Amino acid sequence: MLELLPTVLPRLLQALPATLIYWFVPSVLALILGTLLCIARVGRKGVIYWVCTVVISFFRGTPGIVQLYLVFFGLPKLFALIGADIEDWQAGAFFIIATTLNLSCFVCEALRGGYLAVDRGQIETGLSLGYNRWQNFVHVIAPQTLRVSLLNLKNLEIAVMKDTSIAYVIGAACILGTAKTIISAQYGVGQLAILGIAGVCYFVLCAVLEAAFGAASHRLARHERKAVA
Amino acid sequence: MELDYDFMIADLPTVFAGLPNTLLLTAWSLLFAVTLALTLGTVILTGVPVLTQVVIALNTFIKGVPLAVQLLFCYYGMPLLCRWLDGLGVYHHDPRHIPYFWAAVAALACNFGAYLTDVVVSSVRAIDHGQIECAHALGMTRWQTIRRVIVPQGAVIALPGFTNYVIWLLKGTALASLINVSELLIAAQLSAADGYEYLEAYIDAALIYWAVCAGLECAMTKLERRVGTYRRQDVRQAAAISAHGADADDTSSGPSIPSTEPISAVRGATFAHDRAETPTPQPIGA
Repeated sequence: MLELLPTVLPRLLQALPATLIYWFVPSVLALILGTLLCIARVGRKGVIYWVCTVVISFFRGTPGIVQLYLVFFGLPKLFALIGADIEDWQAGAFFIIATTLNLSCFVCEALRGGYLAVDRGQIETGLSLGYNRWQNFVHVIAPQTLRVSLLNLKNLEIAVMKDTSIAYVIGAACILGTAKTIISAQYGVGQLAILGIAGVCYFVLCAVLEAAFGAASHRLARHERKAVA
Repeated sequence: MELDYDFMIADLPTVFAGLPNTLLLTAWSLLFAVTLALTLGTVILTGVPVLTQVVIALNTFIKGVPLAVQLLFCYYGMPLLCRWLDGLGVYHHDPRHIPYFWAAVAALACNFGAYLTDVVVSSVRAIDHGQIECAHALGMTRWQTIRRVIVPQGAVIALPGFTNYVIWLLKGTALASLINVSELLIAAQLSAADGYEYLEAYIDAALIYWAVCAGLECAMTKLERRVGTYRRQDVRQAAAISAHGADADDTSSGPSIPSTEPISAVRGATFAHDRAETPTPQPIGA
């Protein structure tokens, strides 16, 4: 393993920017989309509610890899309907779209769990203090929801980081895809060691995320610590 | 949208024929994962000096590495293992028939065994310690305490987390298509290859996965309600939620049983996939 390290690791790290993009872009988009879905899901049970519920159920009930294939093969056909040709988009774009859709639904449920845990009295107090609905959301609901949801969001972000490893099935660059390329170029010599190195790369990325979220949840819980002291 | 609906309907039985393999893969992986989780969980809970640290390190590492990497690792490692076993004379190695199914089982079992270990550990730790003290006071032996007090209560607490992972595992078996293990997604791929009608076949596959997962979730929710009825705390929380005008029937977002410790409280449990337990609401400044 060690003699492979100097040649393999730099090549694997070439895929690092792509991996980070495939993690970061869906994360940001899913947070926005997930919030919107969540608002629909905690509100009145109208048409929008049921549409969202079905969509969320679909994305939570099917494997991510199937969704990836569906987006990869289905989206060009869908766009062809409106006359747009997206066949020549990069594979990475399809991966980002598929991951965003998938992650949004999970983020929505995570946020919804957090929202339901917010004490009703807090919301009423905010309104009685003269906050309008938007101020109430920003200053009262969002921080408390986020604090409760953070553990779930951390799990999701780590899962997304790990799921970037399947981007290679549609031809997008990723660490695992690079590892597979190296393995086949070497006719399988040292395949287990190369995969091991790729695994360690992912592990390090996840460990960094874990630490970052640990710091964030520490910060979001600061009000309660003061209250205890 | 331009879809070959005739092919989609005609292909449904072909794709469906892959479902037994997927379920078989899930069942075997689950069996080994649970065995692994109970063993490793026991090690962590008893706190055997060196072994505990080794188990926690291993657990953390497995959870930090993607399932796809583990599957490929087992895929590439399987022929080597077979050859080695052949050398020992316990297995007849045939290079044309390498049991890749068991490679997938090994990878899935290790992966989900690691997550389920957390479920086991946090569920047992969530049992009221007074219960265990009580059992001791009543003169129960260690084994009796485990059998009569810890297992029945821990199992109920573990059920929501366990359900989540069973569904997660079922979806994870789709990744076994990466190493050409015959299952639902491979069945879809093979059936689509002739006419290059991948989208239709994948829609079929997605619908089947969706139906199975939804059915499983529904069944497990019913089971949770049934075995969890004796837990008053549970009933209280359900009442609290319904009082807030929210639907309490969804266990997928906020679990109905609040007493599993947050995973951050479990020693050494990182990269946990556990759902954040929604704590009982408490006003700031309490």
